[in-house]
Amino acid sequence: MSLAIETEKLTKAYGRRARGIEDVDLAVDEGEVFGFLGPNGAGKTTTVRTLLGFLRPTGGRGEVFGLDITKDSVEIRARVGNLPGEFALEDKMTGEGLLKYFARLRGVGDLGYAHEISERLGAELHRPMRRLSRGNKQKIGLVQAMFHRPPLLMLDEPTGGLDPLVQEEFLDIIEEVKAEGRTVFFSSHNLAEVERVCDRVGIIRGGRLAAVETTETLIDKSFRHVVLTFAEDVDKEPFAALSGVRNLRGDGKRISFTLYDDPDEMVKLAAKHTLVNMEYERPSLEEVFLTYYERENGEVR
Amino acid sequence: MSVVLNRGQKRRRTARPGRTLFALVTHTIRMQLRGVIIWGAAIGLYGAAMVASFTAIEGSADQLNQLMEAYPKGMLEAFGVTDLGDPANYLHSQVFGLAPLALSFFPILALANALAGAEERGTIDVLLGNPLPRWQLVAGNFLAGAVSLLGICAIVGLLTWGTAVLVDVELSLREVAEAVLNLWPICIVFGALALLCSASFHRRSLAIAIPAFLLFGMYLIDTIGRVSEDLEDWRPFSVFYFYGSAIENGIDWTHFGSITLVALALLLLATLVFRRRDIYT
Repeated sequence: MSLAIETEKLTKAYGRRARGIEDVDLAVDEGEVFGFLGPNGAGKTTTVRTLLGFLRPTGGRGEVFGLDITKDSVEIRARVGNLPGEFALEDKMTGEGLLKYFARLRGVGDLGYAHEISERLGAELHRPMRRLSRGNKQKIGLVQAMFHRPPLLMLDEPTGGLDPLVQEEFLDIIEEVKAEGRTVFFSSHNLAEVERVCDRVGIIRGGRLAAVETTETLIDKSFRHVVLTFAEDVDKEPFAALSGVRNLRGDGKRISFTLYDDPDEMVKLAAKHTLVNMEYERPSLEEVFLTYYERENGEVR
Repeated sequence: MSVVLNRGQKRRRTARPGRTLFALVTHTIRMQLRGVIIWGAAIGLYGAAMVASFTAIEGSADQLNQLMEAYPKGMLEAFGVTDLGDPANYLHSQVFGLAPLALSFFPILALANALAGAEERGTIDVLLGNPLPRWQLVAGNFLAGAVSLLGICAIVGLLTWGTAVLVDVELSLREVAEAVLNLWPICIVFGALALLCSASFHRRSLAIAIPAFLLFGMYLIDTIGRVSEDLEDWRPFSVFYFYGSAIENGIDWTHFGSITLVALALLLLATLVFRRRDIYT
């Protein structure tokens, strides 16, 4: 399988101003959906902006579809649909005006697909940008990134500001894009969304690529927040003694803790009492990162 | 790291460079259209008002000229006043001698906005997400600014000449056309400087402040240099030294071309600088 994105020791240093990225080795296969994850300021946006030629790398090299990121930036951008993380659209323009303009820049004659995805996402194409909410601007941003059916989509926080129904529709579109054999490279803080659509995940922290995992592996490494509510007061000590239980708190009928291990023993222990309610929640992605890195460093929380 | 593009990716070609540049220029001009009308109307109406006011002083021009003789000769020279009974000289001293100070702000604002302003607003990433070479972004904005400026000059000319026809002031279309066309190079040169600053720095305020400072600085050097021997030698360093009075003497095409060449040199420099630098949002 050929590669859509490949970097070797890609480095971008900003000097003292801010942290950039360092020695990033990345390989994204054509046709895969690749999640690029990391806390704010980790280097996700810098990586994407360096790949697109907005920032000049200070070390290493990178290619998109075999094209050099420093020499062939225009050719690369012809093959990429880009949704920046922090973006703005010209206030005076409507979405329709923006799409027509970008279609002219790209030499795209038919806006049929643009209208199709606009309708699916509920994008308001005929109102000026200044009158659109953040979510509606995000929809226009998504449409402009996808309307020309690029072989590679680079999407930075694509579902930020979208309501759950539109998020669902967007993820359906991403699955269609994947089915067409196109590549998606996207960053997100939404673990459920990453779990649903990403084949693999790259984790960046402190400007360095910490790991590249399949999505299943990433989820397996995470923990769960557990809240148990009983019909009567329960002794919390047996729960505290369970393997993988941390941060236990209890006030009689209600016990909460973080579970780093399998739930089997915990469920069996809870079943000895009259259980009124059990909450078993996935952690936020930020929490997964912390756990992941602590394990990597051999630390135990 | 050798990856061969598959057939679908090979087929994907960027739009022809000429087409992207044309799309950028026409789009930018469309976005500037309202500004062109507002600037053109504002300066044009001022010109029209000055033409109309000429009819009021026309009859007493001799007395006014006598009164002016009481003023220091250098001061009158500084403001280009030679004969207030001549509509061309009157309009040069009241309108076209000062107009570059105001009109230059149109290209300064437009071209400071084009790069540094787009970075500050965060719109540049979406635009450059398209296969648009950086040099085209610089050159396209310059071209659009230059055409829009020409549009403003045309509106100013039409309002000024139209009023002259209406109130029966002796002013030919050619004189007015040359006067407004002569505004173009001196204004675009400050716009090109704003573009260079916009390409060099990431701050729109700097891209406005530097050319604005030079605009007024050069105007003062040229104006004061006419009356002060200390500053006289500095006048050739001011672009206003080469501006002249086209409404009275016609356009000096050598100066017109030289100033335009300076603007083009600044554009070239802006392109080279912007091609190399990082883009921040």
